[in-house]
Amino acid sequence: MGDNSQPVPVLVCADLRRTFGDRVAVDGVGFHIERGETYGLLGPNGAGKTTSISIIAGLLERDAGSVSVSGQPVTTTTVEAKRAVGLVPQELAIYPDLTAAENLMFFGKLYGIGSNALAQRVDEVLEIVGLIDRRDDRTDEYSGGMKRRLNIGIGLLHSPELLILDEPTVGVDPQSRNAILTSVERLGADGMAVLYTTHYMEEAERLCDRVGIIDEGRIVAEGTRRELVALVGERDRVELAASGDLAAAATALRGLAGVDDATPGDGSIQVVVESASARLAEMLAAAVAAGATVTGVDIYEPDLEAVFLHLTGKALRD
Amino acid sequence: MRKVFAIGKTSVVRLMRDRLNLFFVFVLPTMLIVVIGVVFGSGITPRLGILSVGDGEFEMEIVEELMAVDVFETTLLTDRGEVVQAVERGELELGVVIPEAFDGTIAAGVAAEIEYLARPSGSGFEVQAIVQGIIDDQAARIRAGRFLVEEGLAPDLAAALAVVDAASVGVAEVEVELDSTSPMATVGAFDLGAAQNLVLFMFVTSLAASAALILSRKLGVSKRMLSTPTSATTVVAGETLGRFLVALTQGLFIAVVAALAFGVDWGYLPAALAVIVAFAAVGTGAAMLIGSTFSNDEQAGGIGTFLGLGLGALGGCMVPLEIFSPTMRQVAHVTPHAWALDAFSELIREDAGFGDILNELAVLVGFATVLILLAAWRFRRSITA
Repeated sequence: MGDNSQPVPVLVCADLRRTFGDRVAVDGVGFHIERGETYGLLGPNGAGKTTSISIIAGLLERDAGSVSVSGQPVTTTTVEAKRAVGLVPQELAIYPDLTAAENLMFFGKLYGIGSNALAQRVDEVLEIVGLIDRRDDRTDEYSGGMKRRLNIGIGLLHSPELLILDEPTVGVDPQSRNAILTSVERLGADGMAVLYTTHYMEEAERLCDRVGIIDEGRIVAEGTRRELVALVGERDRVELAASGDLAAAATALRGLAGVDDATPGDGSIQVVVESASARLAEMLAAAVAAGATVTGVDIYEPDLEAVFLHLTGKALRD
Repeated sequence: MRKVFAIGKTSVVRLMRDRLNLFFVFVLPTMLIVVIGVVFGSGITPRLGILSVGDGEFEMEIVEELMAVDVFETTLLTDRGEVVQAVERGELELGVVIPEAFDGTIAAGVAAEIEYLARPSGSGFEVQAIVQGIIDDQAARIRAGRFLVEEGLAPDLAAALAVVDAASVGVAEVEVELDSTSPMATVGAFDLGAAQNLVLFMFVTSLAASAALILSRKLGVSKRMLSTPTSATTVVAGETLGRFLVALTQGLFIAVVAALAFGVDWGYLPAALAVIVAFAAVGTGAAMLIGSTFSNDEQAGGIGTFLGLGLGALGGCMVPLEIFSPTMRQVAHVTPHAWALDAFSELIREDAGFGDILNELAVLVGFATVLILLAAWRFRRSITA
């Protein structure tokens, strides 16, 4: 008898590739997600997150690679494997001229949920996303946050094994954003596998058991927060608010001992440095000598933003 | 199939929730049918005006017989100008001017000419056919009487007519059916107008509904449907079904309103229904193709209106195909509208059955099939490519 204790990943994708004309959107993306695990794809806009999840959800044809969910291959033409996947797209993919309940009933039928079970499940989902009081209101009367919550609710309707959320908090007010993040935390805790894409470092840090950092269509690093931060070492991220010749100042800073990277931005220079407090005076002197006027200093403990900067030389919001 | 119906039903619900769509599907066609029906329709009683100033026997006989006809309303007038004006204003479908000294002219053995006044369009010519029948009857009686006088078999016209009347008793009447080489002569003027409206509106409304498909794609709902265990074929079939049901509903609605309100006779009903179903499928295919080709609903709305009205005009929905030149009539048949109108025309005028319109139905089904297959291919590509 073999060892059956080895958990089977809910999602396995390997070597995904997709080009649009000459542009390579996804270039060898691969990762897996276990049951009850929340996996974050963290990267700036245009990094290849949405293209990757469109391929994983079977919505977009791929040039190469493979995807399987619960052991079943997924392509644009497979149907049954999609029963295990719930997709929450970035856009608000709901009918504005239908009520919340009607939208859920419609998608519930497409997921193949029986009529009796569906009516009950619709109310359960509306409870989960906090819209039960507005179940019969047309969604074009909803706020942006309410629409986002319904958008998530549709993905939850059939209790999928894998829930894919593509930047679900874009354009959402802080209160709704917090409600969404709390819901996602609960789903992960309940045993659902969650694939979460975001360009908000703090969301990835809060929600994700593991994070894949994606840039220019490739996953440049993957691991738990602790593992990723370790890539940077005991380095801090320093943001110098400055004016003047920022490019020259960044070059000067990169020449200092202990400085890993210095990137000029819009009114600031991002610096990754070992023991920031000990080297701050030296850094300020170098920046000023190179022609910059420093007006403020912020020091951050190592985080995913610093990791991204360290790995790609770019800020997440670039 | 459950998913196809779910998508189709949702399409219909969404279209019906839009007040503008309701206006175009039900209100506007009804308004136009009423307006056109009142102007040209067979739902109103034609009006006949008679200018009669004499009181002779023959003149009175004609007037009384015309007054007794119950398929039109008859008014007696005493001034020719009044008759002309009433006809010009559309207050009368036909004016009949009996000349002064009508009886005297006949008694003198001279031909008396009765003048008809009617507009070139409208139902005046059908009324004229009935009037002419009555006048012809009297003319035949008078000719027979004159013959007797000329042959010396009767002393005068009055005596001769008495002989003619006595001889005609017991003679079997010969029913004469009026026919004409003009295709417009044997149907109510509105019968074909209703068919033109039906075809025009079904197509225009179908194309307008393509905007909903574009919106569905823009919102990402179409793509999201494919993230569920639903095949692209099912999604396309569902979207197609929804648009088909709307087009069919509108077609049936127009047909029923025209029949009930204006007595339009659609001919053999199962065959008429088949034409409506086939044309609804054509409109659906065109809508799906536009909805899956364009990415902007306003752009699609403009193109849809242009195509809907343009093809409608070319296909004979605004001006009857019968008055097209032979070349233009051939050109018109590049549109499905002309084939649908041909089928309706045969059903309405010729009392045709299924067998007589098989060609037209086959062409319409061909149009629908090609359009729907193209649309399905485009729609699938627009989502997954």
